[in-house]
Amino acid sequence: MNPVPCERWHRWVDHTSEVQLEVGAESLAGLAVEAGRALGLLMLRGAPEEVAGPARILEVSSVDRDALLVDWLNEILFVAETESWVPVEFTVEESSPTRLRVAARGVPVEEVPSSVKAATFHGLKVEEHDGSFRAEVIFDV
Amino acid sequence: MSPIPKSTPENPEFRSGNLPFLAKRVSPTMMEVPASARSDMRVPVHVWADEELWRQISRDRTLLQIVNVATLPGIAGAAHAMPDAHEGYGFPVGGVAAFRARDGIISPGGVGYDINCGVRLLAAEVGHGQVKNRLEPIVSDLARSIPSGTGKGSHLRFTNADLDRILGEGCSFLAERGLATREDLKTIEGGGALPAADPGAVSEKAKQRGGGQLGSIGSGNHFVEVQKVDRIFDEAAADALGLWKGQITVLIHTGSRGLGHQVCTDYVRAMDAVMARHGIHLPDRELACAPFDSPEGKKYFGAMCAAANFAFSNRQAITYAAREVFRRALGEEDGGLRLIYDVAHNMAKLERHGAEDLLVHRKGATRAFGPSHPETPAAYQGIGQPVLIPGSMGTASYVLVGTDEGFGLSFGSTCHGAGRAMSRTAAKKVQKGNEVRKDLEDKGIIVRCASAGELAEEAPHAYKDVDRVVDVVHQAGLARKVARLVPLGVVKG
Repeated sequence: MNPVPCERWHRWVDHTSEVQLEVGAESLAGLAVEAGRALGLLMLRGAPEEVAGPARILEVSSVDRDALLVDWLNEILFVAETESWVPVEFTVEESSPTRLRVAARGVPVEEVPSSVKAATFHGLKVEEHDGSFRAEVIFDV
Repeated sequence: MSPIPKSTPENPEFRSGNLPFLAKRVSPTMMEVPASARSDMRVPVHVWADEELWRQISRDRTLLQIVNVATLPGIAGAAHAMPDAHEGYGFPVGGVAAFRARDGIISPGGVGYDINCGVRLLAAEVGHGQVKNRLEPIVSDLARSIPSGTGKGSHLRFTNADLDRILGEGCSFLAERGLATREDLKTIEGGGALPAADPGAVSEKAKQRGGGQLGSIGSGNHFVEVQKVDRIFDEAAADALGLWKGQITVLIHTGSRGLGHQVCTDYVRAMDAVMARHGIHLPDRELACAPFDSPEGKKYFGAMCAAANFAFSNRQAITYAAREVFRRALGEEDGGLRLIYDVAHNMAKLERHGAEDLLVHRKGATRAFGPSHPETPAAYQGIGQPVLIPGSMGTASYVLVGTDEGFGLSFGSTCHGAGRAMSRTAAKKVQKGNEVRKDLEDKGIIVRCASAGELAEEAPHAYKDVDRVVDVVHQAGLARKVARLVPLGVVKG
């Protein structure tokens, strides 16, 4: 599946204590890619100078499409913290509303520069309008 | 009555919709949202706040979130928001809710991702005058000796079998290994070892994520701070706690690190999947819960208690490192650090309240048992359980003690800090990290923090006024002020 970056966007919205992500894409899979990229950039506190090393496969399965987005982002957090490697580039190999298989490339770090504990279900929205998708996710930081 | 504003993102002053306008003032320190405010509420909401704090609390989604909590099955009495409450996810930060053990729920989101995030206070043998010329090397040595930062591992090494014992036995295991004294165990909430802990309920992912982090601070608002006692409000209580004006203290604020984060992630997911089977329907999916008396509820409670034991042990391991630093700097005789108390502020505890066993969820709230409660440590019977309220970076922290009166008012609970008043983005717009560092250094506070971004996000202006928060708690009778501590040096993640 080929990504279409020009149709993807994200922005961070003010929240008193946590951080809130709004993200848009042309498909559910694109939404996961863009949200994952946004999370990677958040953890790195900005864009990396270069993405190094071979791609690795990340896989998640969930009960529904909303949970899939949360579980996907939590898998990225887990990998980043346990392997000191922050994924920021993703190519979707397989996707359904409840399953993702993604080849990820990222940045090795001595420690993750910015702390994110979890992606939450609070205020979670995954919506489709006129063939494009939009989501809101709040992270505990 | 003023016209009720619409609840929209474009109207950020009132993100809880009309709820602020349905509340009534019950006392100078408490507002009530009646159970009639929304048809799905089972109990009223009590917000502990004066006019100024009420104005701040009613601005974001705090009220909406605590009203959502008031709808949960088996909730008893009232849902409470403490004076430092602010918008979080699921429960608000500063939220307290008690659920009947016999027919109520347990909610991982009601505890939070940083299970048993908490505070520990150590008192030195020496006063400020004796160490002021040695503070800089002491703070630098603390920064070297205690790892900080996201995912940062520990200087300590434990086997997988050790980790299971830490999860099951908490600080008792550390005492066996020489990292805690038997005296320490007497002044930690629950003795630093919750007996309901079930290491087998903690996933391998959780152990992998946080198992190597014991003895480290982490990042965000976590810190180790060297302070001095600046003011005593209650001489008798201060004397009983062993605090005196001018005394050096060390305050440790951290939790269960990645292990606790993953336990919460695992169980929010697990409970989300079984709620429908239990007939539970929620206004917010992050409130995912299960009946306490269900296999899922019991398993989470066992895992949460295990993560809490890990957090107590984390603060204990940091205590061990801090003691080494002080002994190196001041010698065996003057370098001692006595544990005053260690208290959790993200936890669900099974407690007897009247004729009922209740599972009291405190998320960003501190237990505050009074002088006559049997769980108040023997050394503090007649005084009250110490309550430790860290201020924002660079501002005062407080030592209070719980009251018997507070047990009936708020399930023996009080605030946990100053409470955020401003988003991280907004805080960074007000002042850059290097400016925050300079401001602190201009006040004579030594700062050891690698990340300028973290400093900007945690700047004092991002928080409510801790003096006001503590005054409300004191006036309301939830806890009683004993001493004020001011920072001299801070080590941050």
